[in-house]
Amino acid sequence: MSDEQTTGSSDATLVAGEYVLGVLSAAERGAFEARMAREPALRTEVEYWEQRLGVLASELKPIDPPPQVWTNIQTVLAANGARSGLWQNLLFWRWATIGSAAVAAASLLVLVYVARIPTPNAPLIAKLESTGGQSGFIAAIDSGGAGLTVVPASALDVNQQVLQLWLIAPGDHPRSLGLIEPGRPVHINLPAELMQRVAPQATLAVSIEPQGGSPTGLPTGPVIASGKLTKL
Amino acid sequence: MNISVGSAVAIEQDAARKQLIAALVRVAGGDRGALRLLYRDTSAKLFAVCMRILHDEGEAEDVLQDVYITVWRRAGTFNPARASPITWLVAIARNRSIDRLRSGTGAKRMQAIDEASAVSDNAPSALAQLESSQEQQRLIDCLSELEPRHAVAVRSAFLEGVTYDELARRMNIPLGTMKSWIRRSLLRLKGCLER
Repeated sequence: MSDEQTTGSSDATLVAGEYVLGVLSAAERGAFEARMAREPALRTEVEYWEQRLGVLASELKPIDPPPQVWTNIQTVLAANGARSGLWQNLLFWRWATIGSAAVAAASLLVLVYVARIPTPNAPLIAKLESTGGQSGFIAAIDSGGAGLTVVPASALDVNQQVLQLWLIAPGDHPRSLGLIEPGRPVHINLPAELMQRVAPQATLAVSIEPQGGSPTGLPTGPVIASGKLTKL
Repeated sequence: MNISVGSAVAIEQDAARKQLIAALVRVAGGDRGALRLLYRDTSAKLFAVCMRILHDEGEAEDVLQDVYITVWRRAGTFNPARASPITWLVAIARNRSIDRLRSGTGAKRMQAIDEASAVSDNAPSALAQLESSQEQQRLIDCLSELEPRHAVAVRSAFLEGVTYDELARRMNIPLGTMKSWIRRSLLRLKGCLER
């Protein structure tokens, strides 16, 4: 048959078609992808077949995935976002103040700390780790010590409940600092009577509580993350 | 053929497509709310794509998660002038699923030769035909010009993501014959689609 004769361009069409159809082995797929990186024309062929053959997928009957998948996606994105944004900026800030005056003001926390560069007092922060060892929240005390900002580092699904932040000074019982949000940074003004307790070695903890917060004034639900305040 | 129903469907499809494009553009800008919308509107379709290739819920869930994280990172490379949003998403879901299948973590399941279902796939319901876009109809027409067993092989390769080897085994023909079927079909399809 004449349509089986292969020329240079129909070879590209064929191998791209085979790749898109999915009939190639793992090794052949890898080789094709490497070739595609060198030959942009192949990418065009692949897009052609993806577009043309892709409509076959419309024959598949949709299947609802379990809700856990979306929760996992949010968790991964939030954790990655925090790692690449917040912590890298924190580390960068630390090096910048040690090494030079070059400070890239890229995140909220960097902005909070910039004000403190000339002062001898290092800012206080706490990395509140969840039970799984992942960073659950990052808390930073304002430069004046009158408030703090809590940033979630990974997404949480708290369902119909709320998150409450606690301060536990050494030898003291937990004192509520108020409710925080699972999905966005929250700034909290510190009550005057608690300001002096906000010091290195004090612990910040987050518990899950019923709507409106703990009814007893002490944590009633599970503590999902905690960490000690330290000087940066 | 009821024209008014057909055109209503076409208008609806066009609106859905625009909505997906808008969501992808917002995702490219880092909008997580847009990702949620995109997930809501497309995850059941993409999950079906993953399930058909992997035949395992746990594996398909893992891959689906990976697909949307990839979408989050790569939405900026989506070009509405070159691809329809759903096809772009399906391509990512298929590639991830096929890579997973090839990596062997998905235990090799001996699928019974499923020509019966493949053949019934080959004849979409009247409703599916009504709902199908022009592009879909074009492909269906061109597939119907192939020899029926060749069309089954093409469709089955695409939906199941199986290798030449596996495809040949399933349809009980020599590997060389299968390669020649598929290659000939690809060239004929291209010729037909560009007619």
